[in-house]
Amino acid sequence: MTERAAPIVEVSDLTVSFSGKPVLDAVTLSLWTGRITVLVGSSGSGKTTLLRAINRLNECFPHCRTEGAVRLKLEGRSGDIYKDFLPLPEVRRRVGMVFQTPAVLPFSILKNLTLPLRVTLGIWGNVLSDRVERALQEVSLWDEVKDRLQDAATTLSGGQQQRLCLARILALEPRVLLLDEPTASLDFRTTHKIEELLARLKERYAILAVSHSLSQVRRLADRVLVLREGRIAQELDPQHLQDTHAFQALLDEVF
Amino acid sequence: MQKTLDRLLTCLAWLSGGGTLLAVSLLLVFLASHGMPGIDAALFFGDTPWLDALLARKPIFGGIWPALVGTFSLVFLASVFSIPLGIASGIYLAEYASDHRHSLLDFMVDLLSGTPSIVMGLFGFTAILALRKTFLPGARTGLLLAGLCIGLLVLPYVIRTTESALEGIPDHLRLLGPSLGLTRWQNINKVLLPLAGRGILSGAILAVGRAAEDTAVILLTGVVAHAGIPGSLADKFEALPFRIYYLAAEHRSPQELEQGFATALVLLLLTGLLFLAAVLLQRSVERRWKTR
Ligand SMILES: Nc1ncnc2c1ncn2[C@@H]1O[C@H](COP(=O)(O)OP(=O)(O)OP(=O)(O)O)[C@@H](O)[C@H]1O
Ligand SMILES: [Mg+2]
Repeated sequence: MTERAAPIVEVSDLTVSFSGKPVLDAVTLSLWTGRITVLVGSSGSGKTTLLRAINRLNECFPHCRTEGAVRLKLEGRSGDIYKDFLPLPEVRRRVGMVFQTPAVLPFSILKNLTLPLRVTLGIWGNVLSDRVERALQEVSLWDEVKDRLQDAATTLSGGQQQRLCLARILALEPRVLLLDEPTASLDFRTTHKIEELLARLKERYAILAVSHSLSQVRRLADRVLVLREGRIAQELDPQHLQDTHAFQALLDEVF
Repeated sequence: MQKTLDRLLTCLAWLSGGGTLLAVSLLLVFLASHGMPGIDAALFFGDTPWLDALLARKPIFGGIWPALVGTFSLVFLASVFSIPLGIASGIYLAEYASDHRHSLLDFMVDLLSGTPSIVMGLFGFTAILALRKTFLPGARTGLLLAGLCIGLLVLPYVIRTTESALEGIPDHLRLLGPSLGLTRWQNINKVLLPLAGRGILSGAILAVGRAAEDTAVILLTGVVAHAGIPGSLADKFEALPFRIYYLAAEHRSPQELEQGFATALVLLLLTGLLFLAAVLLQRSVERRWKTR
């Protein structure tokens, strides 16, 4: 449906290396609001590095070199995030990322959510609590935690922590979501819950997700990118996954 | 074979743990049994009534109260100087320094932590001599100088523990702040420092303990046997470890030796109290960090 709409993120010729060792090689891809793009690839193929290149997080590591362009479209403006299009903190807020390991801070549940809002946007008082509640509602976590917001976030279950991380990003009102294995190490029901959530969220955000599960790819993906040794080796539509030949190729490639 | 080795190692671990406990308990029992009888008002204030002594209405002869005040002031001065500076240097090393500067500074810190305390005292002493000859003819050794020198002595402990506590934070938490749009300093201030709080506390405790017990530095920078309570930062002072040393080396009666033991016990209690205060302070700061 959005085929003709302009993509919100356009990555072109992206090359990333750590200490001179190339990890991503001339990667080109686009992301659209309303679609989930799923990134698959064997371990070490550079999936996490690719996600971190889209919010410039690789720069937190020393000896990292990035070339190429990542164009971001925001409220009618667009520009290369590697070329002073936006201040760096704002890039990262607009392109939210959830990590492979749930990164909850050993603070209270509430503080995990309010800290970035207060520090980066200077939001206080009622506006703050409204945003927190809205974000928790959005990830269907509100009912589970509304009576224990002061408890340590580390006391939440794995799935709850993952949803908390998602809520924390959503509260910052991003346009793009980068999700690194959002359901890794979760049980079937929790996985299902998160998949439902993502299917709902994609209407408003462009989503790039890494997955290690074939069935998940089939359920979620509007498009599949196969990464092999730092290059996009294949690009598949979901219909392709029904095609036994392409399907077998994908299996051989990554699963 | 593997099993025997396993058992052997378990045994060894138990033994070394037990050994440490035993050594510490023996030391404590020894100190307590020798020192406890000597602890009374006379130990602290000599023949001066304690109220007069506390209010500094009358001078104290023969009591350790001035030494207690002296040691406390030294620890305070050294901490005020070394803890903020050490934490700041640790942050710089862990978060800002380029590779080249990092290795240079690492070397400096190692050098500083390898400096014997008598050398540090000598350094303070020569610094005063140099000052006297140049633009501060009135400069003399005293509390401030000793506090600064001790601060320098314990600085590396704080730097090292801060640095390693910050570097020990796993990547997914280290990257979290930036990924949420925090600037570098916001990330350090709001996320990394709270996460490293315990490690930093252990460095501060180490520094306080070391500052309280050092004798060599103060020997050359202003400690005097009967200085009384220092009235200003430039005054000479007494200190507990020096008094212990003095009583042990030059006691003229068994009572004086007993006083030495009692003083050692007091020093131990003082450092214990300081540790406790540090832990309580850190706990309350941590509680604030966690919820607000
Ligand atoms: N900070 C870093 N410093 C040096 N090398 C790195 C760094 N991050 C990633 N690499 C290297 O880049 C390559 C790709 O890593 P990346 O984490 O992107 O893989 P991945 O596809 O996410 O793997 P997995 O499925 O195991 O998470 C690996 O060879 C890794 O060693
Ligand atoms: Mg990864």
